[in-house]
Amino acid sequence: MTKDLIDNTLPALEATNLTKKYEDGVLALDKVSFSVNRGEIFVMLGGNGAGKTTAINIFLNFIEPTSGEAKINGIVSHREPLRAKQHIAFVSENVMLYPNFTALQNLDFFARLGGKQDLTRDELQAVLLRVGLQEEVHHKRLKGFSKGMRQKCGIAIAIVKDASAILLDEPTSGLDPKAGRDFVELLKTLRDENKAILMSTHDIFRAREIADTVAIMDRGKIIMQQAAGELAGKDLENLYMQYMAGSNNHTTNTTGGVNAGHNS
Amino acid sequence: MLGIIVEKEIRDLLGSTKFAITFAACAVLVLLAFYVGAARHNLHQARYEASQTENLRSMKGISDWQELDEIRIFLPPQPLESLVSGVSNDINRTAIVRGRGDIPTEDSRYNEDPVFAIFRFIDLEFIFKVVLSLFAILLGYDAISGEKERGTLRLSFANSLPRRTYIAGKLIGAFLGLTVSLMVTIALGILILPLMGIVLSGQEWIKLILVIITGLLYFGVFLTLSIFISSLTYRSANSFLISLAVWVMCIYIIPGVSVLMAARSVEVPSSDEIAYKKSTLGIQLAEEFDEGMNHFAVKGSADPEELMSQLNSYIDSLNDVRDMKMQSLSSRLNEDRSNRRQTQENLAFNLARISPATSLSLATSHLAGTSLTLKNRFADQSREYQRAFGEFMLEKTGMNTGGMIKLRTSKSCGGGDDKEDEEPQPINTEELPKPMMSSFTFAESVNPALTDIAILIIYNFVFFAGAFIAFLRYDLR
Repeated sequence: MTKDLIDNTLPALEATNLTKKYEDGVLALDKVSFSVNRGEIFVMLGGNGAGKTTAINIFLNFIEPTSGEAKINGIVSHREPLRAKQHIAFVSENVMLYPNFTALQNLDFFARLGGKQDLTRDELQAVLLRVGLQEEVHHKRLKGFSKGMRQKCGIAIAIVKDASAILLDEPTSGLDPKAGRDFVELLKTLRDENKAILMSTHDIFRAREIADTVAIMDRGKIIMQQAAGELAGKDLENLYMQYMAGSNNHTTNTTGGVNAGHNS
Repeated sequence: MLGIIVEKEIRDLLGSTKFAITFAACAVLVLLAFYVGAARHNLHQARYEASQTENLRSMKGISDWQELDEIRIFLPPQPLESLVSGVSNDINRTAIVRGRGDIPTEDSRYNEDPVFAIFRFIDLEFIFKVVLSLFAILLGYDAISGEKERGTLRLSFANSLPRRTYIAGKLIGAFLGLTVSLMVTIALGILILPLMGIVLSGQEWIKLILVIITGLLYFGVFLTLSIFISSLTYRSANSFLISLAVWVMCIYIIPGVSVLMAARSVEVPSSDEIAYKKSTLGIQLAEEFDEGMNHFAVKGSADPEELMSQLNSYIDSLNDVRDMKMQSLSSRLNEDRSNRRQTQENLAFNLARISPATSLSLATSHLAGTSLTLKNRFADQSREYQRAFGEFMLEKTGMNTGGMIKLRTSKSCGGGDDKEDEEPQPINTEELPKPMMSSFTFAESVNPALTDIAILIIYNFVFFAGAFIAFLRYDLR
């Protein structure tokens, strides 16, 4: 499959009136719209069941939207998923990867799956070094890796694909402070390389630290969206709590229940 | 893309500790099956030869063919029997042949080694049926659900990877990785045969290869089945439990229940019932014989030799009548029993074929010549020998053996003219007709196995397609 040329005038990621209603009536996403440009980190904040992962799953075509569209470089993900996925990389929460493979073998497999079939061992090792995995662990099986080390492998997999957009689903959960800090620094360098980054997280402090735009989600809706500039000098935690409280007071549940039971 | 998935699958499988442990156990068992099979064949061959020698030895010192009441013939061991024992250990392997009448049999191998009747011999068919199918399940149950749990499914499908490519790669990779490694072990096992002095004919080699292909097809059934189940579940634990339950059903429950159901549906008279009917007729015929003896009258001269000859001829004619009546009843009862048994067996086999384990057992036992037909074939060959033996004895003694009364004449002593003052000569056992215990021809072995081989191929396709379709609808989240 030859890779499409990217139209740089379009947002790398764009959700337009994205709605997902499950068969049991639960409304997981309710007309959500946002866009993420190249060189931008867009953070979705919200509790469990807010709809963050559902949005990411629609971009990845793991589920189809009930209505609306998720576009990757202008390609509608559920209409042309194979084409659309050429332009995205993904880092999930709690990446286990293949425990019988070494870090290098895992990276090699996913690199080839992502269309990078001609990378040399040195090039692959350079990516592992970049994410902070020292050379002595490159040939070790992932069985003995800590969560932080596995997460670094996951990031390496996303980087090696060299996609224009990166989706991250709760990537920092369970990381120790040092690993979390390294991770933030890495995301910043990816932003500097003009990647569009869409990240879902519960972690308000990390969101504050790296986001160019923060969207607070609750019960399938974006209840607040502000650019980093607008957030300057504000206490994001307080803001988050205020919005959540407001949302609880004002949002009527059209389906008779929150979307528990589905991935958020 | 398919090549990448296949390669990954093979490397992931072969590199896992689970594979290393289970494969090592399987390899040891496969090699053991070949070694024990070869050793057992040598033992059975030695026993067979010893029985034949003993049979001839027991005739030593006999100087009159009329003293030879009966002769024993033996079912010779076949090399493939030890790898796929089928019914070969259960059936009686010695037939006691008289010139006429029923042919009793004795000496099954389980009679010789009763402890194996409880634990059964471990042969190649057992390894395939029980061990390798479990091996397939252990390595296939988490093929999809395990990837989901590890998060690698989401990560893989974040790429431009078609689902059909992924599942096809998984199935092909798992099948290739496991079957090739198994074939290496089996090839090593095959090497044991010539090393232990087992000589196989060209046709036997082909049959052995077909047995192995059938075993690998059966292995493929359980591998694709477990991947199919894995494609229907989202947790490895659930997939494993369901696979294990299906495995138990296939190996132990379905064949057993099928035989019970067939036995309840078609009643077959027991051998005791038949023996009772024959015995009742036998008593009646004995009375008729006694009655007939009362009507014997000497014709012509009262020369003792002539008298003896007339009496023997008369007894023979009475025996012929008695034999004819007994044969008539026997064949009627046997035919009825045989027809009913055939119906029952067909029903049992067809029901049991729901389980691939049945197809494996039926196909491999046909190929190895150890199916149920072995018993019938030995019975047919014994009857054939009985006819030859009867004719031989008639020629030698002037009467057939196996009658109710046999009067000894001096005519048949030493195989020639008898002179009172000469030392009686022993009979020449080389003159006895040789039993023709031919093994199954290639066509007789392969043709009946083809149905079950075809069933195993179909099962492979069905579960392959099932896994394929189930995965196309699999929730990747």
